[in-house]
Amino acid sequence: MSDSAKISYGKLITNGIFSENPVFKLALSLCPAVAVTTSVKNGFLMGVAVLFVMTMVNITVSIFRNLINPKVRIPAYILIIATYVSMTDMFMAAYARTAYREMGLYIQLIVVFAIIISRAELFASKNKVVPSAVDGIGMGLGFLGALVLIGAIRELFGKGSLMGVSLVGQNPLLIAILPTGGFFVIGLLMGLFNWIEIKRGGNPSSGGGHH
Amino acid sequence: MNDYIKITSNLMIICATAGLILAATWASTEPVKVRKEAQELEQALKGLMPQADSIQAVKDIKIAGKECKIYEAKQGGNLTGFVVSSYGKGYSSYIKLLVAIDANNTVTAVDVLGHAETPGLGDQITEGWFKDRFKGKSLEHLVVVKGDTQTDVQAISGATISSRGVTRGVKDAVEALKAAREGGLK
Repeated sequence: MSDSAKISYGKLITNGIFSENPVFKLALSLCPAVAVTTSVKNGFLMGVAVLFVMTMVNITVSIFRNLINPKVRIPAYILIIATYVSMTDMFMAAYARTAYREMGLYIQLIVVFAIIISRAELFASKNKVVPSAVDGIGMGLGFLGALVLIGAIRELFGKGSLMGVSLVGQNPLLIAILPTGGFFVIGLLMGLFNWIEIKRGGNPSSGGGHH
Repeated sequence: MNDYIKITSNLMIICATAGLILAATWASTEPVKVRKEAQELEQALKGLMPQADSIQAVKDIKIAGKECKIYEAKQGGNLTGFVVSSYGKGYSSYIKLLVAIDANNTVTAVDVLGHAETPGLGDQITEGWFKDRFKGKSLEHLVVVKGDTQTDVQAISGATISSRGVTRGVKDAVEALKAAREGGLK
């Protein structure tokens, strides 16, 4: 992974979306994956915020990777993440008020998302700027896709609607929208992802667990 | 020793840069945020008192330990009613409310400005059919009842605590207004 010599950008993107999907394969940042995915819209907005923060953090860490003293690298990364998150928070409070009213609470939590600091430490601190940006985009897209997928399933079963459009009668399976249902949905999707991996001849536990 | 200075200055530079960036962002976004918040409040007040041409804050009060206000609504100089901002403790959050009350201390409309109640259950407090349950209620009928009722406030099934939270906030608003009017407010 730290070998920056030859990694194709396309592979970095699919790595983030499939083989090392933050939620389904790495099992990182599950807290927000449960908390904000009660609808497609909320999942999407959170995913976009994380995509932005993660890409910017990866770029910044990569640019300054030789200037940040290794002994204080963790506080330095946290400061960089916190700066971008606070900026996102302030911009949303001023310019995207409807979305901010629903998820303002969760935006500030992005500071402690394990997936972001783990990419800064594992990838951006050892790679050049462009691959780091691509890795951030890939991982961000993987996270965004996961949140939208979870949000879609929970909204469909819990509220009987998709993207706010009502499809079936009220609350077909209410538990899907409660935190309990969030864990069920993530668990089932995780199983599905591993099953697909096995079918394709890969190792189901290749990505998860070790970071 | 040299190492300490290096590490300290390294982190200090990062902190100072982050601080500068944040200060600049705050300076440019804060005025927009404050302006939009004021606009939203004004719109919500107008929505509750559509016939009024002037709505002015007349008194600061405290409900549930939080800063609230009494607004006076007037049409051509005549009093048409009051709007009281209020809070009620729900299941997982303080529910922020605006309560429109007429001169006889009867609720005419309720608006939910903010909350973090359970999606799918408690968040139904924002729906029109629930807010309408407060219309025309006076102090003694601001009680939550499970099951069918026309005279009192019927709870949302599965969200009794959120329903109670809103009702508590509305009741506190009516009581605060009543006390304020007895204490000298016209």
